[in-house]
Amino acid sequence: MSGFLAAHGYDPGPTQRPFTAGAIAGLLATPPAILLLHLLRSLAVEARILGLPVILTIVAGCVAMAVAGALYARLLGRAANDVRGGWLFGMAFGFALWAAGAVFVLPLLGNGELPAGPPATGVFLSLILWGGCLGALLPFIQRRTHLKVDEPGVAENLGPTLAARDPAKR
Amino acid sequence: MIRVVALRKAAVAGLCGAAAMEAFWFVTGKLGLPTIDLVAQLSAVQFHRWPLLGDAAGLLAHFSIGICWAMFYAFFFWGRFHLRPVLQGLIFSIAPAMLAILVVYPELALMRSQSPMVVLDLHRFFAPITPATVASLLLSHALFGVIVGLMYRRPVGYAVGNRPAPPHPRRPGRSHGKRNANATGFMFATGIECSYPTIEHGRWRRDEMAATRHYARWQDDFELALDIGITHIRYGPPLHLILKGPGSYDWGFVDEALAYLHDHGPEPIVDLCHFGVPSWLGDFQNPEIARALADYAGAFAARFPWVRFYTPVNEMYVCARMSALDGTWNEQRRDERAFAHAAFNLARASIAMTDAILAVRADAIFVNSESSEFCQACCPEPEIQRIARFENERRFLPLDLIYAHPIGDDMRAHLHDHGFADADIAGVMAHEVPARSIIGVDYYEWNERLIDSDGHARALGELFGWYVIASQYYDRYKRPMMHTETNRMDASDGPRWLWRQWHNVQLLRSAGVPLVGFTWYSLTDQVDWDIGLSKAVGNVDPVGLADLNRDIRAVGLTYRRLIEMHKDQPGYTDCPALAGLLAS
Repeated sequence: MSGFLAAHGYDPGPTQRPFTAGAIAGLLATPPAILLLHLLRSLAVEARILGLPVILTIVAGCVAMAVAGALYARLLGRAANDVRGGWLFGMAFGFALWAAGAVFVLPLLGNGELPAGPPATGVFLSLILWGGCLGALLPFIQRRTHLKVDEPGVAENLGPTLAARDPAKR
Repeated sequence: MIRVVALRKAAVAGLCGAAAMEAFWFVTGKLGLPTIDLVAQLSAVQFHRWPLLGDAAGLLAHFSIGICWAMFYAFFFWGRFHLRPVLQGLIFSIAPAMLAILVVYPELALMRSQSPMVVLDLHRFFAPITPATVASLLLSHALFGVIVGLMYRRPVGYAVGNRPAPPHPRRPGRSHGKRNANATGFMFATGIECSYPTIEHGRWRRDEMAATRHYARWQDDFELALDIGITHIRYGPPLHLILKGPGSYDWGFVDEALAYLHDHGPEPIVDLCHFGVPSWLGDFQNPEIARALADYAGAFAARFPWVRFYTPVNEMYVCARMSALDGTWNEQRRDERAFAHAAFNLARASIAMTDAILAVRADAIFVNSESSEFCQACCPEPEIQRIARFENERRFLPLDLIYAHPIGDDMRAHLHDHGFADADIAGVMAHEVPARSIIGVDYYEWNERLIDSDGHARALGELFGWYVIASQYYDRYKRPMMHTETNRMDASDGPRWLWRQWHNVQLLRSAGVPLVGFTWYSLTDQVDWDIGLSKAVGNVDPVGLADLNRDIRAVGLTYRRLIEMHKDQPGYTDCPALAGLLAS
């Protein structure tokens, strides 16, 4: 997978910090999603399913969304930095999280219980909103978190001896 | 960036696809066939008390979903398969159809539940899914795929006659001070990919500057080049947009960019004709292009008198071959006679443009870039040997014409067979070759070819290398040289390739060849060069020093390091070959 991403140019390269940028973007995208969950009464239902107090559910959600953001940024690599497409990639990622997580994983964590009615709508919309915000924010956060080209160590492994590297090795 | 995407085109396609689905459900419902009403289901989720508002919200939601799926298609799916667009759309529709059947439709039923929570039961979850529902969802999504496939095509380029949005105005940028004043330093160069041939028999214009968003981000591009340490930039103003008619120019596409380069650098090597001509000039079969392009070159030199370096016509051999022998661009011919005419017209244009520039700026320097080509016969059969020998002569034809170098016997006989007499050849060569001429030799991994036992050329990879092939060009013309293009399609191998090319440059210098510069081409990733610009697909080729978001790649960092390592070394800070050329 990493070889494919590198060959096709998605590899973030030495200056970018996808995990950091993704985690920050994931975290920043969480408050609007939580607000939506709250408005559609989904938050209380999720807390009940998980067996946690609401505040702990929010904390767990923030952690999970930061991790998910980091994962998104690493998975998409340079493609995630595209301002024109970022919101869409993020929404698609949010949809995938909803399809996989909210529909299949959440019931496993909560003894088969699943949100229904307006709370189910809330879970869906909040993840789409979160994904859209994540994808839209990431390109801008990436620009602020990446290393400068003249920082020491950035081009450390890019010296003339690379000419002798086995081209099959990534 | 995954693909260059036409967002507006995708949005319209998605909207129309969603509308077609609505129409399908409406018609099948009216006909009394078992069907679904997704809009009603969407609206019932939150708005069951206000049906009109609910319908509007449901429609809006469905149209939005359609737009998102069409954009997803544009980014991730379009162009993956070599199939007709309608079939691509149809295959793609399987994804949303499956998600609708397995996840979304059952979830919609849950969302309409009165209870805030249910216990998951697979039987209950999939209860809304009946054979009629499945059929209706499959058919409606297939319709969506067909509509999107039919409507979303050619995301890059534009119909001939149209014009892209003009370049963004100059903004106060990061200060890079004045342009590098060292006139005789070794040229550490890159280029802005600027090809603009037509395809589809002259109906569709490829424009790499538009596809890579250079018109919008030209200032970012120049600032990025300066950050890397680039001293010279190969820059091809869009001839097809500037030269609007005989004596009529729209300099708006180049004025501000060149003003920036004048103030801050890098120093431009201006490339006046790059694989295309304005549509009013037709194509490279038109003998009038020499006169028209000479007028343009003279006008350009008069408007920008500070420009020192020119490439009148880029890669004449490649241009003639792709246009008139391989049938890919412009005239899209596939015959030897057309090739010979294109090669002669391009050479005539180059000579006339050179003269026109010299009339304005007598000390101009010409970098005649050409693709280095080499064919190796696979076996001793005379016919295979003959083909390889002939192709190895053919590659020199345009340069022979502009450098007035005697044409080989095989090539001369071939030209006689296709309508060119000795007097025609002599007529083109009857000019004085400017003393300040540099041969630019481009090199890619596909430039070396093996003539197989069937007489077909196959890519050989880097067998002999740039050193050997560039030496053949030097031995023939004995002119100062420059490595004017190289890159690597495999982005992860870019840094290795860069150093290997550089070591070739060093070896040729040490062998006594006067070398004035090296180029990684191009500054940013390119679009559709993996298919030779033959179709408007929008594939991003990760060959640039930076990607299309203008984030630097590993090869960009490597080039920066290479430049820092060498720029102040003796022989580079003052390049004897360039100094010698300027003294001539």
